[in-house]
Amino acid sequence: MTESGEPVIRVADLCKCYGDVKAVDGVSFTVARGEVFGMLGPNGAGKTTTIEILEGLREPDSGAVTVFGMDVTRHAESIKQRIGVQLQTVSLYPRLTVTELLDLFGSFYEHHLPTKQLIDAVDLGDRATARSMNLSGGQQQRLSIALALVSDPELIFLDEPTTGLDPQARRSLWDLVKGFQSKGKTVMLTTHYMEEAAELCDRVAIMDHGHILEMGTVPELIGRRFKERAVFFDTTPQLPMDRLSKLDGVTRSSQEDGQTLLYSLDVPGTIGTLLALADGLGVEPHNLGIRQATLEDVFLDLTGRALRD
Amino acid sequence: MSTLLLLTVANIKSLVRDRAALFWTFFFPVMFVLLFGVLFSGAGNSKVSAGFVDLDNTTDSAKVHQAFSGVSLLDLKVGTLDDEKAAMQRGDISAVIVLPKGLQQTVDSAKSGQAASIAIQLYVDPSKSQTAQVIQGIVVQIANGFNLQLANGSEIVKIEQLPLSSTNLSNVAYLVPSILAMALMQLGVFAAIPLVQQREKGILKRIGATPLPRWKLVASNILLRLGVAAIDGVLIIGIGIAAFNIQIVGSVPAMAGLILLGAGAFLAIGFLLASFLKTEEQATGVVQVVQMPLMFLSGIFFPFDFMPSWLQGVARLLPLTYLGDALRQVMVNGTQVAPLGVDVAILTGWLVVCLAVAARTFRWE
Repeated sequence: MTESGEPVIRVADLCKCYGDVKAVDGVSFTVARGEVFGMLGPNGAGKTTTIEILEGLREPDSGAVTVFGMDVTRHAESIKQRIGVQLQTVSLYPRLTVTELLDLFGSFYEHHLPTKQLIDAVDLGDRATARSMNLSGGQQQRLSIALALVSDPELIFLDEPTTGLDPQARRSLWDLVKGFQSKGKTVMLTTHYMEEAAELCDRVAIMDHGHILEMGTVPELIGRRFKERAVFFDTTPQLPMDRLSKLDGVTRSSQEDGQTLLYSLDVPGTIGTLLALADGLGVEPHNLGIRQATLEDVFLDLTGRALRD
Repeated sequence: MSTLLLLTVANIKSLVRDRAALFWTFFFPVMFVLLFGVLFSGAGNSKVSAGFVDLDNTTDSAKVHQAFSGVSLLDLKVGTLDDEKAAMQRGDISAVIVLPKGLQQTVDSAKSGQAASIAIQLYVDPSKSQTAQVIQGIVVQIANGFNLQLANGSEIVKIEQLPLSSTNLSNVAYLVPSILAMALMQLGVFAAIPLVQQREKGILKRIGATPLPRWKLVASNILLRLGVAAIDGVLIIGIGIAAFNIQIVGSVPAMAGLILLGAGAFLAIGFLLASFLKTEEQATGVVQVVQMPLMFLSGIFFPFDFMPSWLQGVARLLPLTYLGDALRQVMVNGTQVAPLGVDVAILTGWLVVCLAVAARTFRWE
């Protein structure tokens, strides 16, 4: 068993190449017991490669990777007894039922939870005898989570758990993950949804092109880059950018999809001068609003592009 | 062990619930047997042709010859022992009747009161029981008549029945081992498809993330396929016996061993294919490309001697040729392409080499 102070996951200077492509290029981080740690980044950032090395599915080219204090390549079998894994692609025997799959996967472990309990945990009671091929996307994902929980693991890996799900299914999955945390389990997940990272994760690593660009709690990540709040509005025609950037309190500005975004240290001053400017030009701003900066803003600021494709 | 069992049960359920897979594994070979059986079982039953060899060449043997010639059901071809046996092996005639040297001598000593007897040799193909019975009946009748006429009913002339297999395309007994070989080849080669499917879907990868040792995953696949092979064997042989009255001469352990060896060799080929194929579409295509020529160039459906020599050369390279040959030798005493030991050695070679290469090249994702 790991000491409570010892990190459950420790990754130091991890590298993994596929041919000439450096999928993961010098990544280091630790995850503490009971923490929900998220890797946020676009497709191809190296999130999945990193998590699959931790799961014992791939071997690192270089770097030190330990789980429960054990080296992942040398102790893969005993690590696998203690982790739960949900892979990015849904991957199950299509003609087996929910119950049969849980029984089967349970038999792979030294200890496993009763199938009934798992089915109830992911709320699949009415689909227990359905073949996995006949489940909806959200149900398949919940089954996939149940399979990850089959051995009652201390550490759970979730690779893009809500990709392709509708908002309602996504919400119900988030509730499941929050439940793990309250039971003291450690969770590492990857996502390219910043709301998901913000909602679930104690700490987030922002990843792009095989590097971790920034790491910390969500307020830390935002506070480090944005003292400002964001003022947003639509106008037709668009107001001239050079005049906007000279409004009171404005530090940065951008226009995207017809929406203008002003980062401001003095929101009342910015809005007052904005309205005066618009009035002078005979233009009326619509959908005017104020919000805190988000992870999306952080990502945009770090990489110069939006997180979502 | 319970893991292995559960995994095998999971594979069985996956197979049984997949109607298409079920059709190809069980119904297709059964259909094949029934179809070929019905097509070829009725041919040429009006007259039975037999070779007649007179090694005694005496007045008594001439009398016997005359008696046989008088049987209207029999189409008698007279010749030397070697020629007639060869003709029977080719399938030109169904039996060979041999009057041994010393017939007259034996009859004479019997007449003078000494106890003596001699046997007429009768070569029949035990796998063609109907024809064999007809001929046997005729020979018994004539021998009895002869005994009655020459020796007042004491049994001077006996009958010694000898097995000699004949090749004959119009014979279900020839085809049943062929169809069994085909079914075993298909179940092995087709095993590549679900494997590629499971890899493509990420099932193999997902299982790789559990503590299950990989050998158990492989072992459960092998168990499933060998189980299917056993069922196919029982079905095909059973139909051959029940519906078409073929005579199985081989021992059950020998047949079971061969069936498992054959299934194993082609399963190894299936694993090897699966390690090179990436998508399910690729797999279904390539599997057809592999199994079609195997089926038609191996000569399992035609007697080897009937094939042109270039085709014989091709067939000698293909493993199915040796499985068909081995099964035919063991089951119905058929003609051989190679001695049984060579067949077994070649199949074992394919099994070991393909399995070794597959173990090195197989990718789990």
